[in-house]
Amino acid sequence: MKYIVKWPQKNVIYCFLSIIMVVQNTVFLQMNSLYPTVKRGFLNGISITYKMVKVIVPCYIAIEFIKHLGLIEAISTFFKPCMGIFGLPGESALGLLAGYFINLYAAIAVITPLQLSSKDMTTIALMLGIAHSLPIETGVTRQTGVNAWLMLTARVVFSLFAGIVVNLVWKLFL
Amino acid sequence: MEIIFVALKDSLVLTVKLLCIILPLTISYEFLKHRQSAIEKKHFTFFGISGKGFVPLVTGIIIGLTYGAGIIVYSLRTSNTSRKEAFLILLFLSICHAIIEDTLIFVVIGANGFVLIGFRFALAIVLTYLIYRSRLFSAQLDGFSGKD
Repeated sequence: MKYIVKWPQKNVIYCFLSIIMVVQNTVFLQMNSLYPTVKRGFLNGISITYKMVKVIVPCYIAIEFIKHLGLIEAISTFFKPCMGIFGLPGESALGLLAGYFINLYAAIAVITPLQLSSKDMTTIALMLGIAHSLPIETGVTRQTGVNAWLMLTARVVFSLFAGIVVNLVWKLFL
Repeated sequence: MEIIFVALKDSLVLTVKLLCIILPLTISYEFLKHRQSAIEKKHFTFFGISGKGFVPLVTGIIIGLTYGAGIIVYSLRTSNTSRKEAFLILLFLSICHAIIEDTLIFVVIGANGFVLIGFRFALAIVLTYLIYRSRLFSAQLDGFSGKD
């Protein structure tokens, strides 16, 4: 008599067992597809970082040298009139050009040692976000069959436009 | 000589910071690729961009043109999206792409992320809508598609 399990308890035990089995099943099934996915993502991340390091380190060192040699004032005064439209200091033109022609990581490596304010950083980030690494991405747009030159001009024009607008809006509201 | 070492150290610190952002992103891209086919089945239009065109659009917005190039080119070629639609998609993407990665990278070095995302989305949507509605656009490319 003692060893017979009563009906409701038996039910509960079955319930638990089935839940455990379902959980185990789903976890193991997911693990099979989870692991290669995570691994691929991880390797992609590493390869992107490797590409990044190759660009960032030389750019950073070059900018530090320019700063050390005192060329930054000359560059700043040279670019001051055109960067004044966006409310940016003259030396940020270097970062903008690096972003347009090389890629975003080069731009970051150039901007970081310049120690800009939050407003300047946001403006330049917006401009670079709209138009960056133009040689590569124009190649991509050409492959889709859309007029690449039109896209290129649209991107540059809207990047400059966004810079001007953000400068004005920031001055007015923030 | 000291400058080189200081610059080297600083640039490596910057790289590690960026690595912390990029690694989770690349892993989540891979998860997103699995879900791709689910988006493709939904039917709706968004400023003249239909469900088929939505895959390259979302890919471009999240991943960006450089790394999402394969998916974008492939899905624009295989699904017979009209030329008008492809133009709208590329126009939207030209302003608003790689929105997560770019924004986070710039936030690390001190930009305001909300302004960045908000402004780019708003500009892209307004521009795409205006071009979609403009008479010039529909007259110019009317021969290529029988839609609307």
